[in-house]
This record gives sequence, structure tokens and C-alpha cells, in this order.
Amino acid sequence: MSAPSLSRQLILDRIRAATHKLPSEASVAAEQLRSYIRRGKLSVQDRLKLMIERLREYDAEVVDCMPEEVPAAIGKQLALSGRRVFVAPEGLPAQWLAAGFDWKIDRGLENAEIEQAEGVVTAAFCGVADSGTIVLHHSNSEGRRVLTLLPDWHLCILYANQVVETLPEYFDRCPSPSPLHPSYKNLSLGTPPLHPSDKDLSLGTPPLHPSDKDLSLGTPPLATYISGPSATADIEMTRIKGVHGPRFLNVILVRDEN
Amino acid sequence: MSGTLTGHPVLDPRHAPPFPIAALPVLRNPQLRKNVAHATNMIQTKRARLVAEKTDWQELRTAAAAIRSHVLEDLGSYLEEFEVRCTAAGGKVHWASDAVEARAIIIEVLRQEQANEVIKIKTMTSAEIQLNPALEAAGIHAYETDLAELILQLGEGEPSHFVVPALHVNRSQVREIFARRMGLKDLPDDPKALTAAARTYLRQKFLTIPTAIGGANFLIAETGSVAVVESEGNGRMCLTLPRTLITLAGIEKVLPRFQDLEVMLQLLARSATGERMSPYTSLWTGVTPGDGPQRFHVVLLDNGRSSILARPVERQTLRCIRCAACLNTCPVYRQTGGHAYGSVYPGPIGAILTPQLMHMEFAQSLPFASSLCGACYEVCPVKINIPQVLLELRSQVVNQERRQPARFGDLMFLGMKTANAIFAGARRFRAAQWLGRIALRPFTRKDGWIHSLPSLGAKWTQTRDLRGLPSQSFRQWWVARGKEER
Repeated sequence: MSAPSLSRQLILDRIRAATHKLPSEASVAAEQLRSYIRRGKLSVQDRLKLMIERLREYDAEVVDCMPEEVPAAIGKQLALSGRRVFVAPEGLPAQWLAAGFDWKIDRGLENAEIEQAEGVVTAAFCGVADSGTIVLHHSNSEGRRVLTLLPDWHLCILYANQVVETLPEYFDRCPSPSPLHPSYKNLSLGTPPLHPSDKDLSLGTPPLHPSDKDLSLGTPPLATYISGPSATADIEMTRIKGVHGPRFLNVILVRDEN
Repeated sequence: MSGTLTGHPVLDPRHAPPFPIAALPVLRNPQLRKNVAHATNMIQTKRARLVAEKTDWQELRTAAAAIRSHVLEDLGSYLEEFEVRCTAAGGKVHWASDAVEARAIIIEVLRQEQANEVIKIKTMTSAEIQLNPALEAAGIHAYETDLAELILQLGEGEPSHFVVPALHVNRSQVREIFARRMGLKDLPDDPKALTAAARTYLRQKFLTIPTAIGGANFLIAETGSVAVVESEGNGRMCLTLPRTLITLAGIEKVLPRFQDLEVMLQLLARSATGERMSPYTSLWTGVTPGDGPQRFHVVLLDNGRSSILARPVERQTLRCIRCAACLNTCPVYRQTGGHAYGSVYPGPIGAILTPQLMHMEFAQSLPFASSLCGACYEVCPVKINIPQVLLELRSQVVNQERRQPARFGDLMFLGMKTANAIFAGARRFRAAQWLGRIALRPFTRKDGWIHSLPSLGAKWTQTRDLRGLPSQSFRQWWVARGKEER
């Protein structure tokens, strides 16, 4: 193997030689750059309706309930699944661990143990209605990545105030802690991520898992965006549900009091 | 199909025949053309529906093109920023100036891991550097885990598309491959059963093989994170279960900020598979204690990219996010499929990317494998003006030919030289018209069309008809008309 640092220098020199002599292509005005839709326009009810519709379109099962009904709703979904052994992330609220089922709490479970479980129950970080996407940042209540991967059945609890309409609205909830790259700033590509006047953007009170330190704002070190269950269309473009990830995605949408 | 060390053939532009010759067997294979047409039509229909749903599609394209151009202008800084952040998060960043180096780095890491098996996510850069044969030669067996890649690996076939690599293979062919290679005699040919067979076949591999190789859809400079977009969950398996993960990514894959994903992710799945989002997008940053691989290597691959960066017209090629929308819409690709391009990057983007990655020393026929209709430009989510780059590359190829001493023996070259002289003078041109009318008359049918010509002319008439020369030129008609009026 040739000296690695030499290749690094060689590549960077080539790049610098190439970019140095060419004029900048940046001619698009900043406002034009960000003229795509960043904020949704739907009412709360319509936003939730869209979220449910899009989730169902990708074969996910969705039910809704009020906050006080969550434990009962979880129990009902677990019973309906006909499964008995479930894994749960360590930070999952204790009242969500419905009675009558075999729970394996993840305090460093082996992959083989997770693989043997029939399902998993987790919280979520965010839901994006436009694409029917569930966002996991793998906090204590959302679980390590492997937890939502090996079991065949995933039940996710999503709160209404976690549901945004557009993908950019989700990214607004993860403002960057690092300063902008100087040339990026010159291009004005970045709008300030948080508009203080925008009430929609505030997460409000953390939804039910106060033990979650990871829920603090910022870019996530780990994230998984799930849009419907695992699928393939590799054979004659026929969409088949469930290749390697969970074959069944279930969502309980918890509506607000009002 | 040419076998290699693994038995998994490789599309190598250095050895591939020119496009028009490579396309012939495909054009004579109705099953293959039917499979390709079915798949591309299907994706196109789904894409069109979801793009129409996005009222800000053009604005998203504009933003995506601007972000990608901006990255390329300051690529050095963004790569360094990525390296710093990724390293700080526990990752190890390697730099590979070419394919040989990239293969050596990866094999060295695998040797340190004492790996004799590795699981793989579909990775175009790994196909580009022909990694699998090199691994096999080093005594390491690679298991492709994407369903399409698995079909091709077990069936010893070649990918013909970089989003749905096995689109040219139909269900009964998949059944035959799986039945033979997995020892499942009674496997039915419905896609559901075939998919289930793949799930079972790979499950143990995921759980037991401790080393994985994957690519990257995006590298995020500000956080040092890597993003992989996929459908099946095989990616998540490879990114989560092994002890060690190696990511091989082209140097152009960087995005400045995490937030830039809000543009890219809205465009990518819609363009690639006609979905709002792909089922799974995974993002990770270096190493996370207790979650996923505890050893993480990123190999940043140049392999010809920096030389593309230096050229003003061609630079936009590097904006590509590999959605393959240009393949599905291309009237040439839709007839030939991918193999005729002799490269792991087929279609319009392959026609500009492949010869450039080869430093214009191979694959020179590819820039001509296009009707310049512009459909590729229209669907490109990062607004790469592919026809413009095609024309630029064509002129480079012609300039190369001009410098070849053999040109004086080439009828085409002499013909063009003669045409040049004829077009330079009105009298010569008129004389040539007169001569041409006489010479072409025997070949012109009653319907006014020429269906077949001898010699050089056959290059035109073997694929299309030629309108016969009219009995009167425009100038003659004009002069005659003037006389009548007077």
C-alpha cells in the first residue's frame, strides 16, 4: 500500500488545482435557492390526516388515541398482532409495557436475543406527513438501531406535536450547532434554522420521555428515516413488502387534548 | 459474458467493444428488451406521478443544483471538514487516488480484521473499482446483500442499471438462479417467494459475518456523518450488525450541511424509484458506543474525479446523485439496457461519466450513444446539462481522431475533408449537387426514398432511410421562379 498521507495530499492538491483556476458558478440568488416550500400550510387536523394517509399508502397500520389511552392502545395492538415476545428500549415509559406479554428490556441484549423477539415497541423523534416518514434519532426511548431492525413487527408511538408537514420542517428541529462554512455563508444558502416567532417549531414539552437526554435539539449522530416497511421491487418491479427489515410497521398516533 | 476470478463478470470500459457493436446482441434479444422496457416504463410512470405532486419540484432542482455546484467549487475544504468531524467521532478516513489504491486499502483493513468473508451493500464505487474480484483473489468472499445484486452474483450476470441492477432479469430467470444456487428445487416463481428465499439465505450471513462494505449516498461535512438510502433493510443490517464497517465513497459525495439533506432527500427517491422517500434512510457519525460497528473506515475515492473537476463544462457531471432517472427516460437506454455501455455506469450519465473517469482513453464511443434529445437534462434532479457535456466530449473524441496518423486511410475522414472543400465554394457545391443527383438516382425508389446504399453510405442506410435528392435545388427553383414572373 502506498503511503496514505501522500495520497491525501495528492488528491487535495489535484482538487485545489482544479477548483482554483475555475470561476465560481454561483450566480443564483439566495432567495431563489430557498424558494422551495419549507413550511407546510395545512391545519393540524389535515396534517395528521395526511400523515395517516401516507403511512397507510405504504402499507403501515395506523390507529389513533388520546394521551391517556396510550397504554391501553399499545396493549390492544400487541394482542391483535398475535405475538407474545417483545423487546423494548430501556427508556420506554414503564406504563407502555403492557401486562400479559413477555418483555425483554434492552440493557445490552445480544443480537440473537433481539432476533428471537417477535416485535418491538418504540417512541419516535418526529413524523413527516408529506412522505409518511417516521424519524428515529435512537434516543433511550427509540432504542438502538438494531432494536427496530431484527424483529419482524414494529410498533411506533408518535405524538401529534411530533408530526410536521414537510421534510424541511423536520430539519428545522435539528438546528446545526456548528458555525457556517465561510464560503457557504457567502452564498447565503443557509437561512437561520429557527425562527423564534414560529410557535410550530418549538417542540414544546418533550413528549412523555423526560428521561431522554438525547432529545435535545441539534443534528443527530444517528438517525433512521422509515417510510413504510422494508420493501423491494427488484423482481419485475413488483413491490414486495418485507425483505430484511421489519415486515410490519404499526403506528399509534397520539392526538392532543384539544 | 466474460467470466472473472469470482465468476462475477465485470463491466470494464477498457475491454468493452464500442457501443454500436455491443448494442447489437441486445437489440436482437426480445426477452431482454421486453424486461428493460417494462421496468423503465414502470419507474417512469411512478416518478411522473410523484413529481407532479410536488408543486415546488423546479425550485428543489434549482436548490439541489446550487448546493452540489457549491460543494464542487470548494471540494477540498469540505472534504477536510468531513475528515476532521468523522475522525473526531471515532471514524478512520483513508484517501485513495485510484482504484488500485482503494482496493489495497480495503484489503489491508480486512486483513487486519482477519476477515475471510464480508457482507456488502450495493455500492457503485465498489463495482467501479472492481472490488469483488480483488477480494476473491485475496481469499475474501463478498456476499452481495441487495436482492438485485444477489440475483446477479448468484447468476453470474452483469448489472444493467445502477438503481435496479437486475431489471433485465425476469421472475422465471430469478427462480432458475435461486433454485440452482440455493438448492431449492421446488421454489415457485412468484416474486414474494423469491424474496422470502433471499431473506432466509442472507439472514444468517447478516448475523454472523462481522465485517461489512458499503457506499454512501451523501457525506455531511459539518457533522462527519454518512447517509445511505435503501429499500430492503439489507443496508441497515450491514450498517448495524457487524463489528467493522468500511464505507467506500467518491470524493464528490459531500454535502456542506446536515440541513442540505432536506433538498436532496426530497429529490432522490422520487427521481430514482418513484417513491416519496425510500423505505430506509440511515445516517451515522463515526462510531457510537453500544450501537452499531465499533470500527469504522471511510475510503475517499478520487479515481479520475479530480480531473473532471478541472474542466468547466464537464464539472457538472460530478453533481450527480446517481438516481438513474436519466436512464429510465433515455430513448437509447430504453432500447439497449445497460450492458451495451460496457460500464457500471450506463445510460446518459454513464455516457458522460465513464469516458471521463477513463481520462478519455477508453469508452470514446459512449458520448455518441445519444440522440441529444435532452430528456435526461429535463429529469435530472441536479440539473446536469448532459447534452452539453455529450457535445463537449464528442468534440474531444473527434480531436483525438484528428491527431491519429491512421486517419488518411479512413474513408470517413477523407469524406469529411472532401465535404469540407465542397461546402467552401458555391460553384463546387452546385457541381456536387448535380453529380449527387445523377449518382443517387439508381438508388432512389419510386417513393422518393433511398433504402440502401453501398460502402460508406451504408453506415446511414443500415439503420435509417435517406430522402432522395429532389430534381431541383432551392436555388434552381428560385431562379426559375424569377424568370416565370418576369
